[in-house]
Amino acid sequence: MNYAIAVHGAPYASEAAAHALSFADAVMAGGHSIERVFFFHEGAYQGLATQVPPQDHFNIDMVKRWQHLAGQGVELGICIASGIKRGIVDKAESARYELEHPTLAPGFELVGLGQLIAAINSAERYVEFPA
Amino acid sequence: MKRYLFIISRSPYASSHALEQLEAAMVAAVFEASVAVLFRDEGAWNLQQDQTGGSIGQKTLTKVLDALPAYEVEELYVCADALGTLGVQIDPSLTVKPINLTEQQSLISTSDAVITAQP
Repeated sequence: MNYAIAVHGAPYASEAAAHALSFADAVMAGGHSIERVFFFHEGAYQGLATQVPPQDHFNIDMVKRWQHLAGQGVELGICIASGIKRGIVDKAESARYELEHPTLAPGFELVGLGQLIAAINSAERYVEFPA
Repeated sequence: MKRYLFIISRSPYASSHALEQLEAAMVAAVFEASVAVLFRDEGAWNLQQDQTGGSIGQKTLTKVLDALPAYEVEELYVCADALGTLGVQIDPSLTVKPINLTEQQSLISTSDAVITAQP
């Protein structure tokens, strides 16, 4: 089965990402597919490249876990409106707004809200992980 | 064509929840989906008349709601219990149907995708 997944919580502030990642891993392990993971609202912070997770926590490096998922061909799309207002910018947006440097982690991309709807349209199931 | 239901459960201005949900609903309508919006719990406050978002530097939610029919988002529902409990006076420019809990259950179960986007 093909799933569309949305994440609405920021890292560490909520369990949204931990739950979404466990779900996504189970989806892939079960031989299913993920149309796209869409990060909306505070979920945009999942793609912040400059996170430094505490070293004494097991399995807490969310960015690495998301990137592992991206490595399996899963698209990680951050709502561009949610992202740029929170300082999550790629190279192009960083240049456009004359910021010092991009802050988007590799493996993620900034996309329009239409990509959420397109993913739900193509998928058989839509599952969201609130903050 | 999929049937989308956007649920707005937070009051306006305290967060961007309602505004961002409405933006997503308008995008869904552009995709020619069938789109309904349900206001429940504190979300019923979004329908309150005489809002002036400008006084705190924000968009007035009513103006966004007024624009929904132009995007073919024409199905607006509100939880009848929330209306009564909160004493919300719906803005006269809006066409919103109050529905009870059983009707909300049926609205949810007949939708293909339910977007709550809880902040």
